[in-house]
Amino acid sequence: MSVFGSNGARKMNCDEVAPLLVFLACDEVTAEERAGIESHIMECAECRAQLAEVGEFQDNLATLPQSADELDRTGTLLAQCRSELSETLDEMAAPVEQESWRPFGFVRRWMALRPVWSAAGLLAAGAILGVQLLQWLPTNDSNLNFRAVNVSAAQKITNEQLEKMAVSEINFAPNSDGTPGTLQVQLRAEQPVVLSGNLDDSDMRRVLTYVVKNSERFDPGVRLDCLDALRAKIGDAEIRDALLDAARRDKNPAVRMKALESLREVASEQDVRDAVLESLEEDTNPGVRVEAINLLVRSLEMESGTPAMPPSPGANSDVPMVAQTAPALAESDPSVRRVLRALEQLRRNDPNHYVRLRSAAALRQIGPAEVQ
Amino acid sequence: MPLPQWALALADSAGKSGEHQAVLATVTALPELDERALVVEAQAGNRAAFEELVRRFDRDVLRLALNLMKRPEDARDVYQEAFLKVYRNLHRFRFECSFYTWLYRIVTNVCLDHLRRRQARPEDQAPEVLVNRQEEGTRDFFEVQREHRPALDPERSLIGKEIRTRLAKAMERLSPRERVVFEMKHYQGLKLRAIGDALGTTEETVKNSLFRATRKLRQELGELR
Repeated sequence: MSVFGSNGARKMNCDEVAPLLVFLACDEVTAEERAGIESHIMECAECRAQLAEVGEFQDNLATLPQSADELDRTGTLLAQCRSELSETLDEMAAPVEQESWRPFGFVRRWMALRPVWSAAGLLAAGAILGVQLLQWLPTNDSNLNFRAVNVSAAQKITNEQLEKMAVSEINFAPNSDGTPGTLQVQLRAEQPVVLSGNLDDSDMRRVLTYVVKNSERFDPGVRLDCLDALRAKIGDAEIRDALLDAARRDKNPAVRMKALESLREVASEQDVRDAVLESLEEDTNPGVRVEAINLLVRSLEMESGTPAMPPSPGANSDVPMVAQTAPALAESDPSVRRVLRALEQLRRNDPNHYVRLRSAAALRQIGPAEVQ
Repeated sequence: MPLPQWALALADSAGKSGEHQAVLATVTALPELDERALVVEAQAGNRAAFEELVRRFDRDVLRLALNLMKRPEDARDVYQEAFLKVYRNLHRFRFECSFYTWLYRIVTNVCLDHLRRRQARPEDQAPEVLVNRQEEGTRDFFEVQREHRPALDPERSLIGKEIRTRLAKAMERLSPRERVVFEMKHYQGLKLRAIGDALGTTEETVKNSLFRATRKLRQELGELR
């Protein structure tokens, strides 16, 4: 008997056709599958009936109203969402502008407004500096040719070097499987240094945590890059201290927000929760307060969850298992009570509308019945 | 710094002149920019360009959120959280996929997070739109349709109502991922490959989710046929 049907397509049996009918009805089969199915249903009344049934189901779906049409008929919700987003962006932008002071900022502004004069000035300065520098430098060729030095992990960076360094660039080279790989940090010091390695290198850790802890000396972009690199080793006590420090004290709200976000995996630990609560109660930036709320919700979820429990047969692997809720924890853990109190305060008194909404939503998620 | 010709031309055609008006023209011309140019502008810190990007896509985003979450306040949370994530991470977007795909990846992840959280809390699951609507006595879908489609009969109306109620209940039993896949396929009309891109998974996985979701829903509606 031929394995090909009258139209030349491979013959399929009912077991092969059945799972493809849904995809045929929504036009998601290959040409070959389509030919095989069509050839089969010409001969099989049962599969033909199945296909008609799937078609009817799709038709029914198409005639049903969608929640979106019902819930926002007039577009009021969309307008409200836009306005809230705009308000939040305004508030996020405001403190960043306050911190826009940079050394020689007035010179840069002057140069930006007078590009021709600036270009001429820079050329003249470069020429003078180049001529003078040649006279100052010794004529020894080996000294003239020095460039960046690669430092191996074994070579120690001194405290003095740390205090004088500036970071010009941080590059990431992730491994092919997406895990954190090699980091390359270019330092500007008396002698330029390129530091390569990963977070297992103590020098690498020292440099990155130093940058995070001494925020006033480094650019916010560099600090964000350091946080990105450090989050891969959040279990390390020194790194966690640096991140907590940044979450509490960094002048830039984007950096504080990033530091909080980096602490997600250890959100349920006491020192982290204290820092998050501090941000929640004291941070002036609404974006940071919202991130703190998200982190607290996560910390309570982590605390009340039962991750060690194996999934039961047939259980859905998409669903995280959380056995208890915050009210039960609140009785035994005073810090949970403090979280609930702080959220309640925020819900009532926060000047920002979105933060109030988010706190109310968080309380609905985690809070005891009486605060809902 | 001289303004681009197109910005000046726009200002002149509107009968305005001077630097201030020209800057306004730059802003009004943002809707003319293509998606890539807008993203580049927004990455450079142009807030107006970011807001224009939001306006291009937020209707679809809110629609997806409403269809999935079924509650306006949850959809509003999803909208805010998703666009704030986009704002904070826009500098990381490297045009390796379309902005639309990248945005949908963020939105679907936020939706999945919310749905999983909701599913983990039984007290948060009950109240979705269809149940509420019936309780509040809102008109049935087929009753609304009848005004425009006089051929529909009362029996059809009853069956339609029953199908809708059962479908809503069955949707609640889907896993968050199945629900998102089903929604994106049937109501957003996306291809399976695009859904896979948005969810950061393979087309085959999406196919499995859609198959499981459809089977569960058909089982629920089976007795009505």
